[in-house]
Amino acid sequence: MIIKLERVKLQTRKTEEAIDITAQVDEVVQKSGVKNGLVNVVTMHTSSGLLVTEGIPCLEEDILTHLARLFPEDADYHHRRYLDYDGRLGFNADAHLKSVIGGISCTFPIENGKIVRGSRQTIYFMEYDGPLERTYLIQVLGE
Amino acid sequence: MIDFHTHPVLIRELLEKYPNYERVARQVFKIGNNFQPLETFFLQMDVAGIEKAVLLPIDCRRARKDAVSSNEQVAELCRRSPRFIGFASVDPLRKGAARELERAVKDLGLKGLKLDPALQDFRPNNRKVFPVYEAAAALGIPLLVHAGMSWAPETPLERGHPLHLEEPIRAFPKLAFVLAHFAWPWVGEATALALKYPNVYLDTSGLYYDSPKEFFQFVFSRQIPATVIERSLRTKILFGSNYPRVEIKNMVHALRSLPLTAGCLNLILRENAERLLGLATGN
Repeated sequence: MIIKLERVKLQTRKTEEAIDITAQVDEVVQKSGVKNGLVNVVTMHTSSGLLVTEGIPCLEEDILTHLARLFPEDADYHHRRYLDYDGRLGFNADAHLKSVIGGISCTFPIENGKIVRGSRQTIYFMEYDGPLERTYLIQVLGE
Repeated sequence: MIDFHTHPVLIRELLEKYPNYERVARQVFKIGNNFQPLETFFLQMDVAGIEKAVLLPIDCRRARKDAVSSNEQVAELCRRSPRFIGFASVDPLRKGAARELERAVKDLGLKGLKLDPALQDFRPNNRKVFPVYEAAAALGIPLLVHAGMSWAPETPLERGHPLHLEEPIRAFPKLAFVLAHFAWPWVGEATALALKYPNVYLDTSGLYYDSPKEFFQFVFSRQIPATVIERSLRTKILFGSNYPRVEIKNMVHALRSLPLTAGCLNLILRENAERLLGLATGN
């Protein structure tokens, strides 16, 4: 059994953006030496997300637009208060809720050393509260 | 646009170089966010439309063992980017503070003085502090002084009352006193000082409850009307975010949500700071 964990840093550049990380995940899988198993990708931040969809700009825009419609920046959130452990106020509840709804991880099978995924399936790191340097994890498990 | 109030307390490049940097951020300044590369600072400025940011150190070595960013760290960051405008901080109760300020301005190229009576543990109307005001006035640099409530632990609320500054404001009419955070909760008193004294300015970096937009809309309608800014104080208000306690973009959006004219916003976001810092065209 091989278990490999890669921590990947990513500098986001906008308040919100969908960043295609498929090639990065493919590369980690190929270098892992795992022929058959699973790859799990997960973000380490509660105001960002990880999701899979068709890799085209119109969908990237639609996802961000409609998540913003579900969780408007100006809605009434209880999170808008002083957070003692952070030394600052929380006013990014919209980003947290987008992360909850959009998800924070994805899993794909590995067969013959390659990810098995549909030709249109693209893995996105979703920034909902940038720009920030973020970290996501790629864990490969198998034989 | 210029952000007149930022703290370089979460910069990864400094964390790697200075052993006490993390302790100061977590325990003295008290902030829990992740350290970020300098690039994030610039990107935060970019998404907010900010071209230059004032970096503020706080020399609280006597009161808290370490400085919350030192003059040397600020100068180092300014050497890395022309987008930064560095201020100096000295402990006004330390012997030789006035000379230290002079050196920071002349040798390190710092452009203003930052004091925090709460975190630095001094009374701003203590006569022993006056040589530092005098030195700042002689150097022709502005003083940005913490006013109002401080989030830093173990800082008495009373120390931030803006009326403690009235005596030095009167004694040093040539020194520009910028009262930070609109001195919340004493917004009325701070506004009175700015209305009464030509050498008093206010920065917008206050955020103590709700979201930036909600806070601004309450303070600038229920505590003082936005018309006071528009009609009487338009040349005396400076945009400040208090980043990284607040993201700069949120404070810019909050300011822009107020019923202020484009001309007034331009003064707050750019021209007043340029004038105080000597950056205006022709200088």
